[in-house]
Amino acid sequence: MNKKIKASAAIVAAFALSFGAFATTSASAATTVKIAYQGPLTGPEAQTGTDSIRGVKLALKLYNATNPAVKVELFNGGDDQGDDAQGGTVGAGIAADDAVIGVLTAYSGPTIAALPSYKAKGIAIVSPSATRACLTDPTNACYGAPVFHRIVSNDDLQGPALARVATNGVKDPTVFIVDDQSSYSVGLTAAVKKALGTAYEAGDSAAKGAVSDFSATIAKIKQTKSNVVIYTGYYADGAKFLKQLRDKGYKGVYAAGDGVLNSQFPKLAGKKQSEGARLTAPTVPLDVASPKIYAAFKKEFKAEPGVYSTESFDATNIFLQAIKAGKTTRADMLAYLNSSSFSYKNTAGITIKFQASGDLSGSGLMNQFVVKSGTIKLNGKA
Amino acid sequence: MDFSILTDQFASLTFDGIALGFIYVLIALGYTMVYGVLRLINFANSEVFMLGSFTTILVATKLFHHTIESDPLTGFKLVYTMLAMLIGSMIVSGVVSVLIEIVAYRRLRARTSNRLTSLISAIGVSIVLSEAVRMATSSAPMGSPRLLDKITLVTIWGADIRVDTLLVIVFAIILLITLDLFVNKTRLGKGIRAVSMDYDTSRLMGINLNKIISTTFLIGGLGTGAAAFFYITVYEMTRFSIGFELGLAAFTAAVLGGIGNIRGAFAGGIALGLIEMYASAVLGTQWRSITAFVILILVLLFKPNGIFGESLQQARV
Repeated sequence: MNKKIKASAAIVAAFALSFGAFATTSASAATTVKIAYQGPLTGPEAQTGTDSIRGVKLALKLYNATNPAVKVELFNGGDDQGDDAQGGTVGAGIAADDAVIGVLTAYSGPTIAALPSYKAKGIAIVSPSATRACLTDPTNACYGAPVFHRIVSNDDLQGPALARVATNGVKDPTVFIVDDQSSYSVGLTAAVKKALGTAYEAGDSAAKGAVSDFSATIAKIKQTKSNVVIYTGYYADGAKFLKQLRDKGYKGVYAAGDGVLNSQFPKLAGKKQSEGARLTAPTVPLDVASPKIYAAFKKEFKAEPGVYSTESFDATNIFLQAIKAGKTTRADMLAYLNSSSFSYKNTAGITIKFQASGDLSGSGLMNQFVVKSGTIKLNGKA
Repeated sequence: MDFSILTDQFASLTFDGIALGFIYVLIALGYTMVYGVLRLINFANSEVFMLGSFTTILVATKLFHHTIESDPLTGFKLVYTMLAMLIGSMIVSGVVSVLIEIVAYRRLRARTSNRLTSLISAIGVSIVLSEAVRMATSSAPMGSPRLLDKITLVTIWGADIRVDTLLVIVFAIILLITLDLFVNKTRLGKGIRAVSMDYDTSRLMGINLNKIISTTFLIGGLGTGAAAFFYITVYEMTRFSIGFELGLAAFTAAVLGGIGNIRGAFAGGIALGLIEMYASAVLGTQWRSITAFVILILVLLFKPNGIFGESLQQARV
């Protein structure tokens, strides 16, 4: 290398260094941090992700409108299509952006795939909807601590609650379970079956979004003379199934889990057909939790909130509460969430704390709902 | 495995299977008409169906202001509302189908004889349409108001014969007979058959190829639009991904019966409806598609042109 090149290389290097230094100062001077949402925004699961990210956007909008000292932006990206295989790449992409100090992850599978990236960089997760039990089980390989936290109860809790609510007041219950083959549905089905014991009669699996006609399933329900039908999938198919079930003269109980808890469910299933349907969920629908936030949501997006809109709103507010308390680095954020003094009052007015495993403290929240005249009404604890 | 259900619920399953089969038949016509003439699998046909299903609901909700909670209609009002929904769906589906031909296939056909290129552009059109609707509807399903009350007319051996499913069956039979007569008896039908038998020779004979092909797409689209209307009448719900679900089944039905053959589409659709219903009952709904495809493969092993493919070669569209 001759002198001239050496010199110019040195100049370039010096320039790069000073520019780098300049960039760093400007970043810390402009007080903006990011949080990320990792979930399905396109593809077959996009509905859940869309409902969920709207909760995030609304929380951020309300926060930024108060002109805070630290502005918070949403990381641009994070679409994993709810697909386990894409979770790892998407997680690595989020972790690579140094401005991201917290992340919300939607689905259990992709969350598990992305965990190594978040753990390596010490980025805190608050999940509004990842309910798979292993994420907070220290003996399991997919254990998410210290970064993983969730504000929903896990599937181990919902199964027994759903079994209890479905058979409540039914004499000699004979239960038929229909799942939709998604990992959520299969996990919930297993937990419900275990809790039901001998009341469980038979079941069927109808792949999510792939079945228009449930006649064969209904023929089986009639044949087994079941008087309780539990559906463990999501609301669109659950409504389609319930409508056909009632139209074919079924008079027994219909019960379902949080996947079906959506304001569109009674509308799609029909007022008459959905009457009396029983639901359980570790959540409160936004309109029940806070009519004010619900109105703001509808005004902002011109759409109804979905299953995890409330939880996404709350999970975002947990990060915002930490940021307001001055926790604007990854390490501070994580320490804040993991400290024993942490608590947060959610939209429904319930105070949330975390266990060391990342699960909610206490017995966890599980509500039951019943459909009356075409609307879902909260019916107390499950 | 539970075979007792076949004896217990046989009539019920059979009737439901036939009713489902007729929906498949109507969509399968769209694939079969185009394949018969162009030897091209119009994968975008499934999205034509999807658009038709949305149109059906929008005519009822936007034009006639029925809401999802409205009560069923009766008498003259029922007839004209449902006719408007049917015609609306058929027009939109027919026009979209012709537009797809002009945009995605015509130029390719003029420039290359390679059918693979058209196949790729068919898949492309399909993705564009379903993703556009996904964005427009934020992936949410759309429910239809119940206009026709689902009254059970008679119960035969435990099977409820409902007015909506009966309507599908009757209309599908009328449509099939009309289409068969059209292709076999009219001048335009003769043109379609000529193009189907020999593309180049029919051109030499002075047949306007583009006109014949557009007509074929129009007829396929109209049939698919009607299928969408009847699907909504029976199942009362649609979403952006519906085309994939039913399109695949209808395509399977067309291949099973012998693609390019109207009577084949009929036989294939009914057979598939019944196979799916029996397989779901005996093996479980999760085995429905597997059973259908295993049977399809077996049929193709012994009759590579489908059930009716060879014997009715001359009757091909």
